[in-house]
Amino acid sequence: MAAHRPEGPPKLLGVVAEYETPTALVHAAEKVRDAGFQHWDTYTPFPIHGIDPAMGIRPTRLPWIVLCAGLTGLTTAALLQWWTNAVDYPWVISGKPFLSIPASVPVYFELTVLFSALTALGAMIVINGLPEPHHPLDLKERFGRATDDRFFLYIQARDPKFDESATRALLESTHPEDLDDVMEDQSSPAGLPRPLVIGLAALVCAAIVPFVLFVQARQTMTDQPRIHMVPDMDFQLKYKTQKASAFFADGRTVRPQEPATIAVGQLDEDEHLHHGRVEGEYARTFPSALPVDEAAMKRGQTQYDIFCAPCHGLSGAGDGIVSRRAQDKEQSMWVPPTNLTQGYLRRMPVGQMYELIGKGVRNMPAYGPQISIEDRWRIVLYVRALQRAGNATIEDVPAAERGGLN
Amino acid sequence: MAKKDSDSEHDAPHGGHEDHGGDSTAAVTDDVRLPGAARVAQIAGGVGVVGVLATIGLGVSAGDDLRSFSFAYLTAYVYGLSIALGALVWVTLQHLFAARWSVVVRRVGELFAASTPVMALLALPILVPVLMGNHQLYEWVDHAAVEKDHILHHKHAYLNETFFAVRLVVYFVFWAWLGRYWLTKSVEQDRTKAKGLHAKLYGVSAPSMIALALTLSFAAIDLIMSLDARWFSTIFGVYYFSGAVVAWHSLFALVLFWLQGQGKLVKSVSVHHFHDIGKMMFAFTVFWAYIAFSQYMLIWYANVPEETVWYQERTNGPWQNVAWFLVVGHFVVPFLFLLSRHVKRNRAGLKLGAVWLLFVHWVDMFWLVKPSLGRHGELHGLPIGVMDVTAVVGVLGMLLAAAAWNARDKNLIPLEDERLAKSLAFTNS
Repeated sequence: MAAHRPEGPPKLLGVVAEYETPTALVHAAEKVRDAGFQHWDTYTPFPIHGIDPAMGIRPTRLPWIVLCAGLTGLTTAALLQWWTNAVDYPWVISGKPFLSIPASVPVYFELTVLFSALTALGAMIVINGLPEPHHPLDLKERFGRATDDRFFLYIQARDPKFDESATRALLESTHPEDLDDVMEDQSSPAGLPRPLVIGLAALVCAAIVPFVLFVQARQTMTDQPRIHMVPDMDFQLKYKTQKASAFFADGRTVRPQEPATIAVGQLDEDEHLHHGRVEGEYARTFPSALPVDEAAMKRGQTQYDIFCAPCHGLSGAGDGIVSRRAQDKEQSMWVPPTNLTQGYLRRMPVGQMYELIGKGVRNMPAYGPQISIEDRWRIVLYVRALQRAGNATIEDVPAAERGGLN
Repeated sequence: MAKKDSDSEHDAPHGGHEDHGGDSTAAVTDDVRLPGAARVAQIAGGVGVVGVLATIGLGVSAGDDLRSFSFAYLTAYVYGLSIALGALVWVTLQHLFAARWSVVVRRVGELFAASTPVMALLALPILVPVLMGNHQLYEWVDHAAVEKDHILHHKHAYLNETFFAVRLVVYFVFWAWLGRYWLTKSVEQDRTKAKGLHAKLYGVSAPSMIALALTLSFAAIDLIMSLDARWFSTIFGVYYFSGAVVAWHSLFALVLFWLQGQGKLVKSVSVHHFHDIGKMMFAFTVFWAYIAFSQYMLIWYANVPEETVWYQERTNGPWQNVAWFLVVGHFVVPFLFLLSRHVKRNRAGLKLGAVWLLFVHWVDMFWLVKPSLGRHGELHGLPIGVMDVTAVVGVLGMLLAAAAWNARDKNLIPLEDERLAKSLAFTNS
């Protein structure tokens, strides 16, 4: 792009006046405003209160643009939350509704602010006609003081009211420090230097390449192993439980227990207490190491209510809140929890019940890691109490209290 | 802000680019005395005393061991207190930021900020029954209940009658001192014409602001949050604070409009000052919503029974409508209404906004206090009655009387403040 220079003598672009004080500038601006000019501007080192009315500038329309952008942001956020949470990928979180307004409010707020702020910036730049890398006034040496201590007023020749001598006279009457013609710029190149343009174009093209590759990769299949962008995160220098080990001779990462050693806290020497068995059979009595008293029963109730009641229900009838909700939602895959007070469970040895709590059964998970050995026994004790209560007859009620029953 | 020489006409802009120091060319040409202030104080005070006495009379004759009285009176009391504390915070804030725009209106704020002693007096109908062991209002006064309830027992070291009284005394001693200090120093300057006062007040304002934040928060906790002594919210003080700032700026605007109606401050207080007050009303309406929602969302999301119970009470039954009214009336409506600068710069618009915000702030206090009345399940419908009206009239009357009484022998503008010229010339374009 060759620097194309206009032919002939330089054209007059306008007249610029320089003032020493902001007050003089404001007065001059009022005069120019009253003369009915359209294409003119003032240049000051800092914002001047009152210059807007003095120049007859109408209130900016930026607030309306920002308001529209804010409402767009709000709408976008509402649609985003609705689509992602309630339509595209419904997912129960803390039992809240899929489309949950309180949880969405922060998103509404953020997108409203984001759209407003970016629009305010962008619209301000566009309305002000920025970026404007080059301006004929830049060629004037005196104009440099517009960023320091002088105040300028520039009327463009393209204004319909512009008349070379009359406009000069108008500005003369405002007593400027200096009055100067602004001529067409014939020294600077008309366009950007060619290497810069080519370089920028190349950069833009290069910037597209990663996205093209990305899209292509998403569309195609490959039999090559995946590319590891962050290898030290994908291949960490540590052993995982079920992985092979190149270090140990037997190739196992998990180490078997050393013969003739016992890990801390794993001395399960009491067959009755720790395994629920007596001479290989399930124990039918509670271990002697554990007192069976009211305190144990209370503790058993507490632990039962925490760990068991959500599924088996507070009375053991298999009607816990989780099960009731699953049935409300008509979950066809749901296996209802066992009623603990009926059937074979009443005849099941306590040792076996103890074992089932620790190791789990069918789709009930193992609670051994969560509930201590003693508490597992106490839960069994409490379940026995529930079984008795669930099958109680009038004979089970103390004679003195039978009168209180209907 | 920008500098412009002071020789230009009417709204000659002065501003922050360069500090001119004392610029004595601009002078207050307004009437700055309010000779009728004593009369206003008498009338407002008379109405106030009648209102408070009527409330007490109605309360005693209700024959419910002061239960309905206590809740109605507390609602009105925390409402009035929030306005007085809002004024105190505002004046302290002006000194903290060495604000120039507000100098012409600061004295009016000082008059209200110095009115906290009357709020101490008005605290007696709450404090005296508590000290006499009446536990209709605060459950933690009931020793039998405290004995039985683990949480109340645990909190007894803080929530007991003696310490409650001690704390109230500490708060009010500090508030009364601070309000009196701002007013006295400022009035003293009118007389002595001393220079450089603002630097000294700036130094006092910083620690005072910290102490104000703490006392205001704890007062909100003691007076309102302890109605539900098992419940807790660490943001509660900020919630009360945000409402207090909204209510104060609303009353502030109305008082200034009234003064201009009396022919005072007509030229000194311009649309630019009202615009700024309107901005504060708008900003703190948003802040209130932000804080209220922050408190709500955390509790709603975590869904811990001991926390949700407070909202359970306040969003069910008749309170559901009140809660929705607050969402719409205390946020959506004033937000949209005050959003435009044209409304904030319009006298009728700002007046309407101020009256509305003062009303919804009372609804907010009502919604904070009154649901606790139903903690034994005796509520059917909204508990609102004559006592709510008489109590608000009483408390507001006394508050206005105190401010007017403070004004009776003082200028309405701190005429000797060095930043007065900048405040007079303040523009808000």
